[in-house]
Amino acid sequence: MPKPLKKKRSDGTSYERPPEIENWIKKLEMVDVAERLLQFETLSRKSPRYVPSEALVYFLRRAWVEVEGLQGDFEKLFRILMKRIEQSLCSAISDSRMAGARGIREEIMERFAERIAKDCRGRPGLLDFYEIRFDKAFSAFRTSVLRQIGPSAMDTVPLVTEKDDCLEISAEVEAAAADFLGGDPGKLDDPAFRLELTAAIDRLPDDQKLVIGLLLQGFQIDSKDKDVMTIARILQCDERTVRNRRDRACKALRAILQEENAQ
Amino acid sequence: MIAEQPSDRNEEEVLLAFSVEPTHDRKTLEKYLTDYPEHAKALVACSIELMVDATRSAESVAMSEDAVDRAWQRFQSAVSQPEEASVINPFATLNPGAFKSLAKELDINTLLLSRLRDRAIDAATIPRRFVQRLATELGATTEAIMDYLRSPPAMVSGHSFRSAVKPAVAEQISFEKAVETSQLTHGQQEALKAMRD
Repeated sequence: MPKPLKKKRSDGTSYERPPEIENWIKKLEMVDVAERLLQFETLSRKSPRYVPSEALVYFLRRAWVEVEGLQGDFEKLFRILMKRIEQSLCSAISDSRMAGARGIREEIMERFAERIAKDCRGRPGLLDFYEIRFDKAFSAFRTSVLRQIGPSAMDTVPLVTEKDDCLEISAEVEAAAADFLGGDPGKLDDPAFRLELTAAIDRLPDDQKLVIGLLLQGFQIDSKDKDVMTIARILQCDERTVRNRRDRACKALRAILQEENAQ
Repeated sequence: MIAEQPSDRNEEEVLLAFSVEPTHDRKTLEKYLTDYPEHAKALVACSIELMVDATRSAESVAMSEDAVDRAWQRFQSAVSQPEEASVINPFATLNPGAFKSLAKELDINTLLLSRLRDRAIDAATIPRRFVQRLATELGATTEAIMDYLRSPPAMVSGHSFRSAVKPAVAEQISFEKAVETSQLTHGQQEALKAMRD
């Protein structure tokens, strides 16, 4: 039987693994170690032998506890997990999108190795999240590390020069934004368009990405009602700044989508 | 186990908790923003990352064992070190660019700075004046920097500076020896030697 997670939510309830992960763990507990290692080595998610990383983290932690830190299966599992992490980082922090991407990817991997070490040293709970939703948890970890060591600006599509955010923006850009988000709201309900749009948003500078992301989630830019959580309040900036970032982002997004569709 | 209060959680932990929520819609984000206003920007950045992650396709990048080796070395180093709650790594928040800028400000090269970061130099041999300059540039106290430099040597992380040598725990050397063997210019070496206590 899989060992339960120790981490608790702020309301005191326990975290649990999703049922499909529990099933994977139970299934893998039945096979011998060599076969399990073979299965873990499958890197392609499309392969029927691919084991979710949540289960890999579970067996990695067990390997440390059960062999008292002896380097054997633990090291093999550690290396398999790191290869998966490197693969995912190559996608999220690609060489073409960020200066010094390789160094940043390696630093993130090394910091994650430190988290595993902390867990091994008896600070249980930290890795529990990775047994629940590995990809999402790692995305959160990556976000947190990038906020500390990442470049301040990503190498993105050419945009309007970053001047004072509070400067008035041209009527042309304002019209482009209105056309893009306001022209046909129904377009956003189209899954194919939304996917295309999300990929385009990924190419925006961080400040614009935040504004557009919040708009897509349904937050409003500003409100006279002080109880309403608005984008201006969340990002702690003037509503004109938010509008300008939105307008610049919309202009850039339109250019990206046009470029994509022309290919 | 006692449930943690929101204020007990640092940014990383808050983001991890958010990431494993079943959905990341406006309602979930609002709840976290209300509970952890001090991590608002990080939460929003994380919610966007979760949204765009699904659209990213794996680039075909030739992966090497090198990065995995380094991670394994860092793990071994971290797992064998005693708990040092009071010693903070002042270099931890420096990205590769900031690291190079720091070396430039100190008029040294990144090799010597890496040796200092990895505590490959015997702290007792480092001139006090140099430690003071390092502390000023890092925005820390001289005592905090000395505490860090005195702690046991770490694995060479080399996160942005390539080396043909496989990472390993460095044997500590004297500051003078480090200055002589770090490929510094003659002028740089003389300036550092002149700082001797």
